[in-house]
Amino acid sequence: MARKLDDIFNECYERIRSGESLESCLRSYPQYRAQLEPLLRTTFDIGRRVSYIHPRPEFKHWARVRIESAQRYPRQQTRTETPAASTWLRHGWAVAVSVGIVLILTTGTTMAASSQALPTEPLYPVKLATEQVRLAFAVSDENKAQVQTELVQERAKEVEAMANAGETDEAAKAVDRYNDQFEKAMAAILKAEGTEPPPVIIPPAETLPPETATPPAVVTPPVVTTASENTTPAETTTPATTETQPPVTEEQPTTTEEQPSVTEEQPATTEEQPSVTEEQPSVTEEQPSVTEEQPAVTTAQDKGQTSQTDKLRNALDKSNYKSLQALREAKEKASHNTKSDWQKAIDRMKESQKKSPTTTDTTSQSDNKTTSSPATPSPTKQLPSRWHR
Amino acid sequence: MLSEEYLVQQAVNGNQAAFTQLYNQNFDRIHRYIYIKVRDRAEAEDLTQDVFIRALESIGTYKWRDLPFAAWLFKIAHNRVIDHVRKQSKEKRAPLEEAYTKSVEDPIQMTERDYEVYQLKVALEQLPEAQRDVATLRFIAQLSIAEVARTLGKSEGTVKALQFNATASLRKVLRGKLDG
Repeated sequence: MARKLDDIFNECYERIRSGESLESCLRSYPQYRAQLEPLLRTTFDIGRRVSYIHPRPEFKHWARVRIESAQRYPRQQTRTETPAASTWLRHGWAVAVSVGIVLILTTGTTMAASSQALPTEPLYPVKLATEQVRLAFAVSDENKAQVQTELVQERAKEVEAMANAGETDEAAKAVDRYNDQFEKAMAAILKAEGTEPPPVIIPPAETLPPETATPPAVVTPPVVTTASENTTPAETTTPATTETQPPVTEEQPTTTEEQPSVTEEQPATTEEQPSVTEEQPSVTEEQPSVTEEQPAVTTAQDKGQTSQTDKLRNALDKSNYKSLQALREAKEKASHNTKSDWQKAIDRMKESQKKSPTTTDTTSQSDNKTTSSPATPSPTKQLPSRWHR
Repeated sequence: MLSEEYLVQQAVNGNQAAFTQLYNQNFDRIHRYIYIKVRDRAEAEDLTQDVFIRALESIGTYKWRDLPFAAWLFKIAHNRVIDHVRKQSKEKRAPLEEAYTKSVEDPIQMTERDYEVYQLKVALEQLPEAQRDVATLRFIAQLSIAEVARTLGKSEGTVKALQFNATASLRKVLRGKLDG
């Protein structure tokens, strides 16, 4: 009887969901009216409460931006890299094809114009393609680190431009691209320094193994003879895929501990550390000379390498600072409705920097109060070289 | 309107517009499902977003014949929620009331609706796990019996029985709350 009743209950529930009235359904089963009616009314009650649950509009909007961004710029599946020479040989044909296509499709003028293209402009894909060719031609680890860092600076400019233009959606996508590029640059710098973190394979997020794609067959569940809760068959509610999914947050290698924070303990060595500000005059007004914060380099043989990679790290620092600053300013100018979107962009950028193997704390400023005064952080606070060697 | 199966096939083949459409069709109910299962709004939002990112990353491996798309998507959501709850349970877990209150910006503005949703959350928490899973997928996510069965790896008969028992239990709890 109970078996039949749960079938009937389900049938009535479906009929009511498709527009039939409760009364009409109960008339079909007058003998079960007393049992069915309260239960069906409970489903109405549940449905009413559920109807109150809606995603916040700004969250819905933001999530969609993220998905679109992820579609356009899928994440790297692996961060392991083969040695430069073999990469070059293995992908030589691809590079040649890329160069050919770029040369055929673009004139020199187009390529030159594309170098300044913003994400909203038609030449932007040409710019990205050209960057890939540049990367392909960077053979040594040092060159790769240099190019990857320059690409971070490009992404930072795009974040700034989109923020200055008040383009919420495009700024969000630019932040995603920036974060991706920042990770690549940090990995390249670490590799150039010979302190590369252990290779991290980003697992496919939800690869359903064959046994879960076809869920385990429930071997004839015990016959449910009563409406008791104890008639539940053996639990199989946790599909096997659960075990195969390491949390996304653990994808980032954390090597911060490996990079001692010695900035405050060691004297600056201005002569040995060329000032980055000389190379990037555009940021000198808002940032202190980074060379003052450069710690001493401990061994002579490391000097050249350290100097080079420290310059790159400083450049990343500045890119972080400038991008965050632009986002903060955009948030201040934004209408009340979009402030939370800008805040999300700021949070995501900060979150990404925190996850990074070595991260400078350009994010110490509180951004959580939408009514706070315009962000004017102390430059010295914004550029602590926490991870400078 | 395009059939879901056609859309899914297009998405599997890399059609971004198709995936976006599937995303639009399923976003609200995935969010509802997760929201009712976790402690607060922020967690629900993070997990909802994560589910779709994961779905996007693995859509290429999806096969319609193995699992209806909604079941596949909810399976990802289900697994993510389980992982999340496990992780939380290892940490110090705040009681439901506290966590819920924290998620409300201004308690004074807590509406009657919020409270009713809260009561539903509490009621669902009191169910045995199998009933709770079925009730959530069926009444909150609005999946069909067949989809719930495939998502949870149970027979349809078992799902119907669990649904019946869950409804009876929820009635008792909710009525008790309302009466009390």
